[in-house]
Amino acid sequence: MPEPVLALEAVTLLAPEGRAVFRGLDWRMERGARFQARGGAGGGCTALLRLCAGIAEPDSGRVVLDGTALEAGVPHPFLQRGHLGWVPSDGGLAVNLSLLQNVALPLQFAQNLGQAAAERTAMAWLEQAGLGPQARNRPAVPGDRESWVASLARAAAKGSRLWLVDRPAGGLDADSIQAAEHILGHAAQDPDVSILLVGGAWMPSLGVELTIGNGRVFSGREP
Amino acid sequence: MPVRWACGVGAKVRHAFALLGSVWWLLGKCVRSGLRLSREQRRVVLAVTRIQIRFTALDALPLCVLTALLLGGITLLQVFAQLSAFGAERHISQILAQLVIRELGPLMVGILVISRSGTAMATEMASRMLSGELDSLYVSGVDPIPYLLVPRLLGGVISVFSLVIVFDTVALLGGFLVAWLRLPVSFGFFLGALGEAIGRRELTATFLKCIVFGIAIPLVCTSFGLRVRRSTTEIPQAVTKASVVSLAVLLLAGAILSVLIYA
Repeated sequence: MPEPVLALEAVTLLAPEGRAVFRGLDWRMERGARFQARGGAGGGCTALLRLCAGIAEPDSGRVVLDGTALEAGVPHPFLQRGHLGWVPSDGGLAVNLSLLQNVALPLQFAQNLGQAAAERTAMAWLEQAGLGPQARNRPAVPGDRESWVASLARAAAKGSRLWLVDRPAGGLDADSIQAAEHILGHAAQDPDVSILLVGGAWMPSLGVELTIGNGRVFSGREP
Repeated sequence: MPVRWACGVGAKVRHAFALLGSVWWLLGKCVRSGLRLSREQRRVVLAVTRIQIRFTALDALPLCVLTALLLGGITLLQVFAQLSAFGAERHISQILAQLVIRELGPLMVGILVISRSGTAMATEMASRMLSGELDSLYVSGVDPIPYLLVPRLLGGVISVFSLVIVFDTVALLGGFLVAWLRLPVSFGFFLGALGEAIGRRELTATFLKCIVFGIAIPLVCTSFGLRVRRSTTEIPQAVTKASVVSLAVLLLAGAILSVLIYA
């Protein structure tokens, strides 16, 4: 069996109030897998993404990313190389940097690209995302939706191998949907790239439907 | 009652050691990350360090100059009143130089840096923690320790050092201005007396204090900012604790260094 890019092994995650978001969850994601996760509010979609990225630490069990377990305080080579495309609801961009700097920074820091080359690549992706004219603005100027799209551009620019994409805060308009479809479609052309997209009814052709709820994760709709 | 009191003291001591341990751990991480930077990462870190220096040192310059000028003049007036009672006015520049260079300069600059930049660093880190920005940076391949903390430490040391030089110079000039108004002293005499008063020990003490304060202030303040976890109401608490603890560290470290060097 090929090594999965991501594996959750007997993971239990408790909410701050003590409720189990996941209990003893075993789930794996093969290389090249594409999932569209669905679930109600508080069902655990965002929690699953945060677990997979190592941002949320499981109360028990472990998360194995690209063959190496994620451990708190220990740098993970997959993350250090910038192979994870993390796109949270609000975009997760640095508020004191322009969109261009936000997209270019991981290229410089994780992939050792020179500033000029990093900014060229960043600009090319921002233009493809329809954010070229906004590139010199900070994330607060264009707004949440554009920040989320810029975050997609950041994941694309650094050639992410695993994409963890949350649903955008405040929804998407037609232009943003087009940009997101274009960027994710481009990423999906690479058979080794794995994508876990929460929501994404606007891109029905992406991959297998995944239902998250009642502390479980399973393919297809809830039985 | 005594048991409860002892438990309270024990908890505070344990808390203080835990804080010391976490700050020490953070310093170790900063040093290790700083030494392992690649060429391109170094460029990014230096760019952020330049911004930090501009905020901590350059923007603080007017306040630093004003404080130094007033403090130099006022200190001289007070010292002059005491010395003239013994007819020892001619030692005024030596006493002023030793007071300013040994103690007042580093201490006042430390207080200025805590109040302007330390609190800003704690607030910034706390806000970034709460908004998930630090997590996003980390999982996107940008480790926040070399990207955010190392520049603050470097910027802190360089800024404190530069501000202390400016502070000492302006405070001594302010002192000379007041002395010149009251005594028949020339600038040459004043400079000559300063040269006698400033020795290797004074320079070593100033240098060591600049390094210790420049590292301790950003480290303590960012450490408190990074402890914020759940809500925005934690931010003012973290900022207050950061400024109080860094002030205590400043006074304690200054006193220890002075005792070690001059006692």
